[in-house]
Amino acid sequence: MTTKELVKKVFFIEILQGLALTLKHLFTPAVTRQYPTEKREPFPGSRGLHALVRDAETGREKCVGCGLCAAMCPSQCIHIYTSEGENHKKIVDRYEIDVLRCVFCAFCVEACPYGAVVLTGHYEYSDYNRDAFYYTKERLLENWDKYMSGEKGKEYFEKFWRPKSEDFGFPTVSRTGDIKNP
Amino acid sequence: MITITVNGKEIQIDKPMTVLEAAKKAGIKIPTLCHHELLESYGGCRLCVVEVERMPKLQNACTLLAADGMVIRTESEVISKVRSEMLELLLINHPLDCAYCDKAGECELQDLVNKYGPTVGRYKEEKRKVPESHTDPIFARHMGRCVVCTRCVRMCDTVQGASAISMIERGGRTRMEPFSSTSFNCEYCGNCLTVCPVGAILSRLYIHSYRPWQVDKEIKTICPYCGVGCSLFVQVRDNSIKRVIPKIGQGLNNGLLCSRGRFGYEFIESQERLKSPLVKEKGKFKQSTWNEAFHFVAGRLMEIRELHGGKAIAGIASPRCTNEDNYVFQKFMRMACRTNNIDSISRIGFAAAQKYIEDLLGQGVTSNIIDGLKNSDAILVIGGDPTAVNPILGLAIRAAARNGANVIVVGNAKGLVPIIRDKTLRIIHPVFREADVLELLLTNIFKTQDVRAEKPAIDKRIKELSEKPVKMDIKEMEKLVKILLGSNSISIVAGMELVQRVDGHRSLFAIAALTYLLEARLFLLSEKPNEQGLIDMGCLPDMLPGGRPINVGDFKHKFEAAWKESIPQDKGITLMEMIGAIRNKDIKALYIMGENPVFNLPNGHYIREALESLDFLVVQDIFLTETAELADVVLPALGWAEKDGTYTNLERRVQLLKRAIDSSSGIEDWKIISEISSIMGYEMDYSSAEKIMEEIAKVSPLYRDLTYKEIGAGDCLWPYHGEPLRGELNEVPVAVDITQDYKADFYLAIEKPLFHSGTLSRRASALRKICPEPTLKISPQHAGKLKLKEGDRVNISTAQGTISVPVSIDASITDNRVLLSNNFENKGVFNLLNFSLDKVTKAPGIEGCEVKIERK
Ligand code: SF4
Ligand code: SF4
Ligand code: SF4
Ligand code: SF4
Ligand code: SF4
Ligand code: FES
Repeated sequence: MTTKELVKKVFFIEILQGLALTLKHLFTPAVTRQYPTEKREPFPGSRGLHALVRDAETGREKCVGCGLCAAMCPSQCIHIYTSEGENHKKIVDRYEIDVLRCVFCAFCVEACPYGAVVLTGHYEYSDYNRDAFYYTKERLLENWDKYMSGEKGKEYFEKFWRPKSEDFGFPTVSRTGDIKNP
Repeated sequence: MITITVNGKEIQIDKPMTVLEAAKKAGIKIPTLCHHELLESYGGCRLCVVEVERMPKLQNACTLLAADGMVIRTESEVISKVRSEMLELLLINHPLDCAYCDKAGECELQDLVNKYGPTVGRYKEEKRKVPESHTDPIFARHMGRCVVCTRCVRMCDTVQGASAISMIERGGRTRMEPFSSTSFNCEYCGNCLTVCPVGAILSRLYIHSYRPWQVDKEIKTICPYCGVGCSLFVQVRDNSIKRVIPKIGQGLNNGLLCSRGRFGYEFIESQERLKSPLVKEKGKFKQSTWNEAFHFVAGRLMEIRELHGGKAIAGIASPRCTNEDNYVFQKFMRMACRTNNIDSISRIGFAAAQKYIEDLLGQGVTSNIIDGLKNSDAILVIGGDPTAVNPILGLAIRAAARNGANVIVVGNAKGLVPIIRDKTLRIIHPVFREADVLELLLTNIFKTQDVRAEKPAIDKRIKELSEKPVKMDIKEMEKLVKILLGSNSISIVAGMELVQRVDGHRSLFAIAALTYLLEARLFLLSEKPNEQGLIDMGCLPDMLPGGRPINVGDFKHKFEAAWKESIPQDKGITLMEMIGAIRNKDIKALYIMGENPVFNLPNGHYIREALESLDFLVVQDIFLTETAELADVVLPALGWAEKDGTYTNLERRVQLLKRAIDSSSGIEDWKIISEISSIMGYEMDYSSAEKIMEEIAKVSPLYRDLTYKEIGAGDCLWPYHGEPLRGELNEVPVAVDITQDYKADFYLAIEKPLFHSGTLSRRASALRKICPEPTLKISPQHAGKLKLKEGDRVNISTAQGTISVPVSIDASITDNRVLLSNNFENKGVFNLLNFSLDKVTKAPGIEGCEVKIERK
């Protein structure tokens, strides 16, 4: 042991250095947020609760029930049931997400050819029973209204899905049976 | 031996084939679109292009025949570029609405574009507009998506032989359209649907309801409709059948199906299915628990057995139930009920015919491979329309005709009329006189070619016949004899109308003798899926499993040893005799498994009266049928897709039936019977259908050592491990000839339509859409005489009753018969018909039923 080491040991130099850092932080402003009293606005593109996009023109879901999101979902938590509706058009009878199984990978969002499903910024949805986390089509549409409607949704698509989002439109092409050039 | 090199790999082939086939043999995949394995090469899409050394241009692999020394490359930059361009051209007019299109996921165009196609198209012109068509009850057409591969048209023309669709218009507007332009109005086999590579033809049964990858499971099973026994793949989502498809290389149908098999599955999920056991109290059904029902049935049967003996009990087995069900059923009747009175509806057709013919020619003579029909050079068809009764067998006949076979049709096999090459090969005879035609043919052949002197009894009878005076003259006879004697490979296809004659045995003898003289292959058309199995399982009054006659002590003792109980001494009585015995009060209790005799036997009122007079009637079924309504106890069973088991088809191929969906409403037939049997004191404790087959494989010489594993692999073809047994008769059984002339205005006869089969099909909504109600088929001449137009409603009356139906004019009818089917509730033809028994076969002769037709 050299003299230098001996001095360090006797006078607890390293500990004092550590304490000095602590002392310094005692006088700098705190970064901790006092959740839940203090909340932070999520950034656009945060992966929170799911929503089904409501088409402003028709007032209905944009989803055509192609099933690609469910096919992509690694935890297999999306369940889609479709059927033949009026005028032989395809309708989505049930679109359900078992949110407790979701891993928030957003593959569903990426898979959707119509930008019909999104992950909203909303992340506070704890509850006392599991059923509450089984989101039906109606609830998912409500989520859109609640968390993404208006400018927010627009911004989201602008930021994250351009230029692809320029193709997004309500898939009227096939719904009417007219075949237009896309 | 031809040697070609593909991608540096040497391939040796021993017969001429295309480069595509040769490459496939060597495991090299060349992309295709217009090519289909079941169809002839077409060469329209140019996606299969390959480079061949020393050939300046790219070649189509699907049309180019491999020649010795060819050096071929299947992938290169040039090839990829060409493929990409071909696809780009196809996409000019293709809507690309994959997200919405039901085909996505199993679409060949989608896969090809994914692999070879351009990422963006350069053509920005307006796409063609073709409206979707939903006018057909079964098919939806999205002709905007058609890629003009013509696969559908080639399928319909050359394989199905229906020629119902065609390509129309030209250039970029080319597309497929049915000839009737709106609805298809065809045989509804759906085989065009199978081959369409894109989503241009879709089935409305499951349209928009699921995507191919969303099925939970796909189960290989057997069609519930006819004796051909096609292999089906049942796709299930959430315990509900989404669709039924065939697969190439799987089963004897090899990728084809008929309308019943493909679209007839909905009955299984019908709302009308029985849900719980019903016991009749004071004329009304009351739901009961299984346990109560079992004890009640067992108790009543024991009572009757003690009081009147086993002879007072009879059982009707079912050709719709599995081998296992039927085996357990006959064992139950023999062991627990102590009776040999076991028969089935097959007595009015298949069972009667097969017994008569096997008695003469030996067991297994009717067990021939359907596919072999294609190689015949002459086929004699009589007594029914194979394309309606056994459609896939009918296709084999059509294929044979295309290969150049002479198809001779006696009577009006409507579906074969278009393929008969020459009008003289269609024999039209006086009504109900098939036996005379056949005997005439037989004696004429005998005149040119002597007997074979192998079977004295038959030889003797043929000689006797040839000495009898001729009753009929047919001018084409000489030609027919010449064709038949000049052919090497002859098949005879016999429908069950032959049996349903007062002298049906004469026809049966004649076809047996023709089979023998001409060394032909004989096929008996079988209307129900397990008629052969039912016979093999011993659901016959005089035969034990494996076709062992009950009166041969040796066989009997073996079974008694295996079953640990004696078998009742006397032979039982046949189906129609049972009805008589019930009316005479000799039979007091009847146990019916999966059959509807009130509807499916001639003279329904007579049958109904008989069943109503019974002391005790048990019906085990999946629906509350006309017969079940008369029962004291109704026990809900499981249907076709809900149980495991085996069916034996008309070729005597044993095939596996597998459970695809679960049902909460019934129990397996064999389980119900085992329970009742155990209560009655004859213990049966099978744990699964497989266990029953293990027992069958032990006791039945016909099914010796068969296992589910072997059956599942599809190798269980007659004669399995066993050997044909059963002595031949020394004397041909005959009865006094009855020849009547039928001179009335109209006779009512039975129509066997393609789209229906009775109790099941009437609950299959797709089949009901194709054919919603019964129609009276009448010849154009007679319709003209009565001034009837298509669709006019008429009252038809016979001595048995009257019903009112619309008229449908059918050009294939050439005589004064009018035809009605036996499929629809309250409108079955059997209700209007009377019968008299054929003394030899004990089958009901249904002929000469005069009918009055009045416009309503
Ligand atoms: S991918 Fe989009 S359009 Fe398709 S089912 Fe999912 S949400 Fe609907
Ligand atoms: S036919 Fe195929 S490529 Fe065309 S829209 Fe349907 S899935 Fe897509
Ligand atoms: S369903 Fe069969 S008969 Fe009808 S058009 Fe298609 S292939 Fe032809
Ligand atoms: S309808 Fe289908 S099978 Fe027929 S030509 Fe068009 S793409 Fe081919
Ligand atoms: S031919 Fe017979 S077994 Fe085959 S699909 Fe048709 S009804 Fe079913
Ligand atoms: S597959 Fe060869 S040209 Fe179409």
